Amino acid sequence: MVTERKQVMSPAVIVVIIVVAVAAAFGGGFAIGSITSASNQQHHPLTFVDDYNRTVSLEGYPQRIISVAPTPTEMLFAVGAGDLIVGIDMWSDYPAQTKNITKVGDFELNLEQIITLKPDLIVSGDLVPQTDLAILESNGIPYMIIADRNLNDVYRSIQLIGNVTDHATNASLLVKSMKERVGAVTNKTFAIGVSHPKVYLEYWPMFTFGPGSFGDDIIRLAGGANIGSIKDTEYPSVTDEFVVSQNPDIIVYTTGPSTTTNPTEIEARPGWNQTNAVSQSKIYSIDDNLVSRYGPRIIDGLEQLAAIIHPDLFT
Amino acid sequence: MKQENAERADPFVRIKRRRALYLLALLVLLAGTVFICILIGEIGPIGAIPGGDHISIGDAVNILLGESHQYSNIIWNIRVPRIFLAGFVGAGLAAAGMAMQAVFRNSMADPFIIGVSSGAAVGAAAVSLFGIGGMFMLFTQPILAFVGALVTVFVVYRLGTIKGHVYVDTLLLSGVAVAAFLGAITSFMIYVQQQQFHQLAHWLLGSLQSASWTEVEIIALPIIAGGIVIYLYGRELNVLLLGEEAAHNLGGNPESLKKIMLAVAAIMTSVAVAFTGIIGFVGLMVPHMMRLIVGSDHRLLAPASILGGAIFLIWADAISRSFVSLPVGVITALFGGPFFLFLLRSRRLRGEGK
Repeated sequence: MVTERKQVMSPAVIVVIIVVAVAAAFGGGFAIGSITSASNQQHHPLTFVDDYNRTVSLEGYPQRIISVAPTPTEMLFAVGAGDLIVGIDMWSDYPAQTKNITKVGDFELNLEQIITLKPDLIVSGDLVPQTDLAILESNGIPYMIIADRNLNDVYRSIQLIGNVTDHATNASLLVKSMKERVGAVTNKTFAIGVSHPKVYLEYWPMFTFGPGSFGDDIIRLAGGANIGSIKDTEYPSVTDEFVVSQNPDIIVYTTGPSTTTNPTEIEARPGWNQTNAVSQSKIYSIDDNLVSRYGPRIIDGLEQLAAIIHPDLFT
Repeated sequence: MKQENAERADPFVRIKRRRALYLLALLVLLAGTVFICILIGEIGPIGAIPGGDHISIGDAVNILLGESHQYSNIIWNIRVPRIFLAGFVGAGLAAAGMAMQAVFRNSMADPFIIGVSSGAAVGAAAVSLFGIGGMFMLFTQPILAFVGALVTVFVVYRLGTIKGHVYVDTLLLSGVAVAAFLGAITSFMIYVQQQQFHQLAHWLLGSLQSASWTEVEIIALPIIAGGIVIYLYGRELNVLLLGEEAAHNLGGNPESLKKIMLAVAAIMTSVAVAFTGIIGFVGLMVPHMMRLIVGSDHRLLAPASILGGAIFLIWADAISRSFVSLPVGVITALFGGPFFLFLLRSRRLRGEGK
């Protein structure tokens, strides 16, 4: 027998109570969280601002660094701070010394492992989930983010890493030499009377560099005209019609561990044999890391591209 | 006289005793799960990464008992909050899933069919696309995901409600349509945002990696409150399964019940999804699994789903962070897909409300 059930409380009141409780919980939870993390105030002799405008404070020059992205790793080694690195992510594969360094994760960081390595600074790129970094920070490990959009950003980041690791002189010498190498290339490629062949640079089958990307920038510096620069986004996809109608003079594809592209495959693409590049067999390859890691080796990528685009100017 | 009373009371006592036993067993299982999963992690004792630092079971137990050890902050600040988060999220999703299955009288209902996941995704995508909050992204992303989810549920609710009467079939279809539309918007935002997409992709896959005591504090209240509310309406949910007309004739109030269940499930699911991203299959499968074990009486099924959901997600998360490196949503789906097929072919589906 089912008896009439007395309503405990009006349903609307219950819902209102829950909503208010949730709002209070959100506010209270954040307040508690920020109080506990702010209670670790100490004297910080080394303070700087990273690429995300975050102010980072360290006790002194870091002695145990964990780098969780390939580009910061390369920058650290390039300024001479490689011996300070105690952990890297699994994608950091350059230079060769990285083989022997403990790997602490790929897309997700192994938080526990990182803490056991007792780092005093984590250097990250901007592709690493920031929630992971925040957890490490709440466990007392500061982090800095390197995020570059153009060559000037790269010089600035290298100098910052040099300053933070007490290798400021090395860093400024490296930046100076990078600028000189860029100048050596552009002196020739921007000279009067030098042609600018159309270049299609493919970092993944049917994907290229659009305006605002590093690839677009270095093609321009290398004396080429990027056919992808008329697209809307930084890393656009392209269609066969687009490439064929643009008629590139030179095709360059990047190679990496999972590359399947090769010149034969490119020539076989429908309609591509009408392009200048294919009919003159001007299809070249370049190491993917030299055009996608925005660190010291981007200049290597620039020089190689310049030699591909203007073989007569660069032996 | 006494003997007659005893005989009449006997079946109810037996049922109540059996229910208590089930819940006790689940509680013990939950306690065991929590204890074992605290021992699972990169530094061990279970599932330790070879070549790294290692703690023994003795060390782990000592840390739990309060002794300080160089790695006690790993256990207390990383593992324990993560297990609590997994427990609360699992419990909340399972309870919400059970409520949705009752409201829609549909075994395939899960807590996301009213648009929570698609709304939360739009909110999260908007944060990275418009750079809302900049460095405060860690706060704004959960908040906007939560708001996006609730606004979407409200829109779906309005679409499925005419003059105060909730039509569940229309609600269901509205949910599907709105989810499809918002999914397209999310895809567009992903296409446009380029660099920051990686932060969003991480959230979309669903992960408990962001667990901290702050998150546990925030999420505990809605889940506990929502769970209690769903339990209190257990008898009404039973009656709702008979159909809305029957429920009305039996003295229930199906309209207000549906609205309350939708609101409570929406809030619990939105809070969970805001922090962990979209973890599928828990809300769908756990109520069914519990139904097979304890039956369809919602007064028992509600607490059973809550406990079962917690146990399930704690285990799935422990597996995903140690033995294989797959996102937890993949683990639940790997288990959920075949199980769902099994459900489809199982005879029990044809007898709703056993």
